[in-house]
Amino acid sequence: MSFRSVFIAVVSAFALILAAFLVNRARPRVETDQPTADFVRASGKCAECHARLQYSVVHEYEMSNHAKKAVNCLDCHQPAAGQEKMDHHGFVISKHLTAGNCRGCHEPIYQEYLRSRHAVPSWAAVHGTQGLTPEQVDFAETYQPGSVKRPPNPLTVPEGHPAVTSGCEQCHAVGKPNSDGTVGTCTECHSRHTSSVELARLPTTCAQCHMGPDHSQIEIYNESKHGIMFAAQRSLLKLDADPRTLTTRDMFVPTCATCHMSGINGLKVTHNPSDRLSWYLAAEVSTKRPNYLQAQINMKQVCTQCHTQAAIDRVYAQAEQVLAGTNEKVLAAKAIMDGLHKDGALSGPPFSHPIDFTYFNLWHYDGRTSKHGAFMGGADFVQWHGNYEMLLKHTELQHQADELRREHGHK
Amino acid sequence: MGTNNVLAAVRRVVADPRMSWAHDPQLWVELFVTMNLAILAADIYIAHSVNHFQKWPEYIPLYFSICAPVLLAIVIALRWIWNLLAPWRDIGYLLGWLSIFIGLGGVLYHLESRFFLDRTLKSLTYAAPFAAPLAYTGLGFLLLVNRMVEVRTSEWARWVILLALGGFFGNFVLSLSDHAANGFFAHTEWIPVISSALATGFLLVPLVMPVTRRYLDLCMVVMLAQGAVGVLGFWFHMQANLIEPGASLWDKLVNGAPPMAPLLFPNLVGLAFVGVWAVLPHVPEPESGQSWLGVAYAWAETERQWFAAG
Repeated sequence: MSFRSVFIAVVSAFALILAAFLVNRARPRVETDQPTADFVRASGKCAECHARLQYSVVHEYEMSNHAKKAVNCLDCHQPAAGQEKMDHHGFVISKHLTAGNCRGCHEPIYQEYLRSRHAVPSWAAVHGTQGLTPEQVDFAETYQPGSVKRPPNPLTVPEGHPAVTSGCEQCHAVGKPNSDGTVGTCTECHSRHTSSVELARLPTTCAQCHMGPDHSQIEIYNESKHGIMFAAQRSLLKLDADPRTLTTRDMFVPTCATCHMSGINGLKVTHNPSDRLSWYLAAEVSTKRPNYLQAQINMKQVCTQCHTQAAIDRVYAQAEQVLAGTNEKVLAAKAIMDGLHKDGALSGPPFSHPIDFTYFNLWHYDGRTSKHGAFMGGADFVQWHGNYEMLLKHTELQHQADELRREHGHK
Repeated sequence: MGTNNVLAAVRRVVADPRMSWAHDPQLWVELFVTMNLAILAADIYIAHSVNHFQKWPEYIPLYFSICAPVLLAIVIALRWIWNLLAPWRDIGYLLGWLSIFIGLGGVLYHLESRFFLDRTLKSLTYAAPFAAPLAYTGLGFLLLVNRMVEVRTSEWARWVILLALGGFFGNFVLSLSDHAANGFFAHTEWIPVISSALATGFLLVPLVMPVTRRYLDLCMVVMLAQGAVGVLGFWFHMQANLIEPGASLWDKLVNGAPPMAPLLFPNLVGLAFVGVWAVLPHVPEPESGQSWLGVAYAWAETERQWFAAG
């Protein structure tokens, strides 16, 4: 046997082995340093099928910060505590993803969210305490008193189950109790696979729910200076800036998130918008929140990143005057309704008589719009969509009340 | 005494004129191709079940692998039993070319699953095993070699070795990229990479320079080691599949470690044996007793010729 033949065989074999080691070594450690082989395989193996079946899912994930930080498919899709498992082509994944899957890495954020009205109170606004555990009710009542121990919304009965499922729940499921004991899904605001902070900062994301006559925040924002500037200068904003280092250079025009949640210029980030809200504006008759003073300080701190203190105080003072005026108008209308009930001129279940709708529209649409418009810089909404409408409906209400009294033989 | 009797009995069997077919390397190559195409039918069925035969072209190799072995078996019988050469030659050419095109087309389809989207090393790792369809191309070339190159020549033997080498190089690429998908989570996943690199290196030499029979002995030792690696790999893959979660055993086999993939090693050892066996007469005789393989060859061939003459 010649040495040359053995030499060539061994050297060429070793060259191949060396090449294999070098190629493998060049692979990012974040891809290979995982607790199990399944975790290593997850993203690529998942993409093999999903690049054909639901390509946008893979593409969205590839663009996400999760992908940049090597969070793979299984990191999110593995069953969290209490979740139903299912076998999926060689992987064990969760049947339904919830906030329970996000909290593994984002627990402090989940805790902030849990204390907000986006959590259980949002669900209770439709269903009351139905589906909630006593612990969930107590927890939410601790941080949002009176928001959960309430009956289901009276409109759910006359409007019916399909309307509630495809209507109300589409927004109020942001606080839906999950079978794993957690509440809500973060993807309502952050989307599923982009997991995007940019998306959460867009006004249109909040506008999925905060729109329409009953809570017309997006319409008011679009009319406000903030909204006008956002429309004009959106391309100049760094909507995807890191929340921990966000400054007014990134977001020199505010969106909903900037004022209500972001930690701009070193302020504390919060996933509980209540931290900066001093009034229950959505209430029939608005009252101060328990943390009124602190919340107002918090919000004014955000305002001072762009505005002078004098301007901020003026806006707040004017808005609180509008709020007080709106309360007076609602209370006046309420007195008429209470009088009708007391005198027996109005009876039956809720929403069974035209005057029920007139009163409901007065506070639920116009009253809220007036108050939101005042705090958010929406002049037209304070006036024409708010106070003018309240005046109109008050007149109609009075007329309907007189009619009812006549029908029932009262003077 | 007893040992001598056993050896004598074996010699008689080996040298029996009715066993002359067993001395025909051309037939062994035909049987190798036929058997491999048949096995590929099962392999393709498992592999493409992963995505439920999502695209119709995925059925092409399956149907081809079902039909081709039957046709080949028929023409092999016609050729070796009834001496009808033409059907064996023409059907073989047809199947050979078809197999080559199916293999090359398969590579393009496999790469399209991911690689053509991103063209990164990562996407190559996670593409459908891009080198796998080349098994068809290799088998197709074997059918052509068997018909276009005179058998028992040095050229024929070296073509067979080249195709066996191609198989081992394919094993090297596939075991590297497939196990990279696991991040080489178990150190044992490096065994087939190293092993197939050695096989590639050792089979390369007879193609590029003259070798001795002692070197071919060493080649056979390396080949036997490949066989052991394949069996070990089959066990590891099956073990992994039985442990991992899955709705059913079928689900585990389809989505888990491919159980048949490691068996490519012993399979290719068979082809390499044929090639090395065929190259032996073209390698200078060593001094008596210095080559196991040479001695075995001389022993079988001499006896066969002696019996045939007798």
